[in-house]
Amino acid sequence: MTDDMPTMVRLERNELDFTLTYEDRSEFVVSYDDLRHACPCAKCSPLRNDDESSKSLRRDIEKLPAEKPKIRKVGKYALGFEWVAGCSSGIYRFERLWLLANRLDPDNGKPYVHGAW
Amino acid sequence: MSDSPVSTHDPKVASDSVEGPTPQDQKKMEQAYAQMKRKMSMQDISKKIKHKVMVLSGKGGVGKSTVATGLALSLAQQGMAVGILDIDITGPNVPKMMGLEGRRLHVEEGRIHPAQGHLGVKVISMAFLLDNEDTPVVWRGPIKLGAIQQFIADVEWGNLDYLIIDFPPGTSDEPLTVAQSLPDIDGMVIVTTPQDVALLDSRKSITFSESIKVPVLGVIENMSGFTIKGTTAPGSEVEISAPAGRTEKTTADKDGNFSVTLDIFKKGGGKLTAEEFDVPFLGALPFDPGFVRGGDDGVHRIVSEPEGASAIAFAAVVSAVQDQIKVDDGTSLEII
Repeated sequence: MTDDMPTMVRLERNELDFTLTYEDRSEFVVSYDDLRHACPCAKCSPLRNDDESSKSLRRDIEKLPAEKPKIRKVGKYALGFEWVAGCSSGIYRFERLWLLANRLDPDNGKPYVHGAW
Repeated sequence: MSDSPVSTHDPKVASDSVEGPTPQDQKKMEQAYAQMKRKMSMQDISKKIKHKVMVLSGKGGVGKSTVATGLALSLAQQGMAVGILDIDITGPNVPKMMGLEGRRLHVEEGRIHPAQGHLGVKVISMAFLLDNEDTPVVWRGPIKLGAIQQFIADVEWGNLDYLIIDFPPGTSDEPLTVAQSLPDIDGMVIVTTPQDVALLDSRKSITFSESIKVPVLGVIENMSGFTIKGTTAPGSEVEISAPAGRTEKTTADKDGNFSVTLDIFKKGGGKLTAEEFDVPFLGALPFDPGFVRGGDDGVHRIVSEPEGASAIAFAAVVSAVQDQIKVDDGTSLEII
């Protein structure tokens, strides 16, 4: 799936979205709303399991004031986005951002199961 | 203290009314100066250590110190210069596992020199400072904090490729103090066993990492499976009674050898925890009674059986940790 993912070399924050540039010079624009809706944290993820709660999550995100997030590198494998309002817990692996950039389902169609054991 | 920059002379005060700081004020200023020197020392030390990895677990008894020493030895096996800082003040057992029991630390010109264990791994532990291993250390927070800072700032580590920091279980003062004192920590690895209670606590550790702004390099599942081996008639079927009423079946090979892995504490929980929190799963380490014997005898399994199954498992985990550290050297991504 992400075996051929190029290395991300640049992330430029715009007012409502951000532009990702990869080492093969490909460029993608991802809206902050899409990014926040795909938050991988244990609180947001279950809300994407069914259509209703997913739409509700989306509406809640769209109500938030527009802002540019602070971005931190998480280890060597992911990025964290810090917002003044809304959830900042999610750790976005580079693979996840690549899927978002390519308009693919970042959850790979798998429902989130909290504590599967 | 002779090198203190603290002066009792205040030129604004007239000579006939000279009153220096009180002894309490003087002591406070000297303490502040010592603290500042220690902070500068921490910065210098940090520059000499390329990578710093914290080893944590939410729950006790998951084999965290065994994993920490295993990581250190496995890295040392690769030719890296490695140190272990045993921050578990109340239950320091890294020296015993490294064959350094009863060793005293060498102090020269105010600098503490670490003891050297197997494969040249440098070790600093509270155990070296205890007169008797049966003596408990009962320290309140501020004293503990001071000891930890001293262990970081006053130790002459020299140049290291890796410093592995072993913590007591849980999400208490110690990791917070280290994270605040030692700059540029690469991240933390969370050690867990497959059962629910350990996994629940590991999830707390992962959340904790976010609050202290130290990234999670990944989750290691320890005591993952116990492999039994035996011999019987070639080609015959073997049935083993496994935990939870299960029966494991296998067939002996042409020489009559068979092996079965029993998942004593369930299976795959570490991987599920990693997936749940979207952090890497660094690998599983087998349940190996040799770790217990090795820990007691002071010869770690990696040292006694460098080509054994456990050493191979550790090497795979170390490789996964290194992958996390080097995937992106932090300079290739420009964030605007």
